[in-house]
Amino acid sequence: MANKKVEKSVMTPDIFKKTFWRSFPLQGCFCYERMQNVGFAYQMIPALKKLYPDKKEASAALKRHLAMFNTTPAVVTFITGVTIAMEEKFKKAKDAGEECDEESINAVKTALMGPLAGIGDSFFWGTFRVIGAGIGASLATKGSILGAVLFFLIYNIPHILVRYNGLKIGYTKGVSFLSNISEGGVVSKLTEAAKILGLIVVGSMAASMVSLSIPLVINIGGAKVAIQGIFDSILKGILPLGLTFGIYKLLQKGVKTTTMLWGIILIGIGGSVLHIL
Amino acid sequence: MSVFQAILLGILGGIGIWDSRVMGMLMIDRPLILGPLVGLILGDVKTGIIMGGSLELVMMGVVGIGSATPPDTVSGSILATAFAIVSGLDVSAAVALALPIATLGQIVGILVRTANGYFVHKADKAAEIGSYKGVERSLWGGAFLFFAAYFVLVFAGAFLGSPVIGAFVKIIPDSIIKGFNVASGMLPALGVATLMQMLMNKKNAAYFFIGWVLTALIGVDTVGVTVFGAAIAYILYQNFTSKPAVASESVTTSSDDLGGEL
Repeated sequence: MANKKVEKSVMTPDIFKKTFWRSFPLQGCFCYERMQNVGFAYQMIPALKKLYPDKKEASAALKRHLAMFNTTPAVVTFITGVTIAMEEKFKKAKDAGEECDEESINAVKTALMGPLAGIGDSFFWGTFRVIGAGIGASLATKGSILGAVLFFLIYNIPHILVRYNGLKIGYTKGVSFLSNISEGGVVSKLTEAAKILGLIVVGSMAASMVSLSIPLVINIGGAKVAIQGIFDSILKGILPLGLTFGIYKLLQKGVKTTTMLWGIILIGIGGSVLHIL
Repeated sequence: MSVFQAILLGILGGIGIWDSRVMGMLMIDRPLILGPLVGLILGDVKTGIIMGGSLELVMMGVVGIGSATPPDTVSGSILATAFAIVSGLDVSAAVALALPIATLGQIVGILVRTANGYFVHKADKAAEIGSYKGVERSLWGGAFLFFAAYFVLVFAGAFLGSPVIGAFVKIIPDSIIKGFNVASGMLPALGVATLMQMLMNKKNAAYFFIGWVLTALIGVDTVGVTVFGAAIAYILYQNFTSKPAVASESVTTSSDDLGGEL
């Protein structure tokens, strides 16, 4: 019934296009206090302008969308689409004289941003970026520009597709979409499968990118024993693997990345001054 | 390095930080992409590419997830690559140099994100009077501050730094340089561990070892492992989704298809 009169929908092709482009500068005014709030309001403006030409209504709507917001930038458009659908519905209901609670718009936004950030981070940071960077860096260290190009494409083709279709799906299917797919559990299964792919690639990276060896040779009663040889005879590559897991454990204990960064450098220098590493 | 080149690098610094601020995170701020661009500005694309790849390995785990401000990959990669080209530093010394610079960039990032509170409050005021334009202006105010801060950081670093850095490198003892070399081999472990923390749980930990064995013991490269991993993930995804509903009915029909799978 909503599709009968096209001019009644706020999401004209023009507004869609504007909103899509405005989704990119989401973090332009990032601050610790409310994070991406200004960016979120910024991308709502084309639709809000059309819905609320009146200053008083505009003020309420802008305030609403300046509430704290934070999610994975690549998937934000889905929330934008849902939010525009809700704004439109509420405006119509209000015009028809019905009572409605606009704060529920922010409740939906807040409810969506966490789970979507979880999905977005594991897909974009954990999967596409890892695969792209893994392939890209191995080509680039050999001097091929193809590394940077492939990295850019592997990350951005899915990125732009999700960004564009997210806005479309978010608006047209609105809130029903997410409850539908989370009922079937498709998203969590897809996320689980993506994590497994990411993890296999990460395992490979632990082998190809981390290097650590001990060139120390000790003299035991005239017999020279190469320490590295002992490790090699246990399992090839056990030192880099052990290092990786050691750091993983420390991360889980809450040791800061920056602390470990400097720790590793100090160990590297200390080790080579003492001729152990 | 000429003033003009330093200005171009400064602009690249601004564009780099804008990638995640204004351009929606297209990964232009990663060393892998910035490296070749620095090479282009300084006339040595090849070194730029190689530096970009090496820095990417070290900075793989440095990502800005959530609200935290990570060490800044933008200034770190641009300046380290520039010094590698201009001062002829070897890759591992330049990589090690990138880290203190990235820490400095991180401090600048924290300052900007704090200062942006000013523009957020301007946006509040604009919202109070229902001014769409005022909110838009606040966004670009914050964005401008990001650009300006990183332009200044990278320009100053590039312009003042290279002779200073060049002189500094000459007085570093060999064992320290070798130490950096060792450290740059170990640092990717930090990136890998960060990713593990994001992806791994008790249920799926075994898949990490599948990837590790494929590369460490069998020698499959990253592309090969990715293809293999995608196949595994696809099979698992199908199993996840077909388990509850289809299991009882289609066991007889689908058992033939699974004949080769052990």
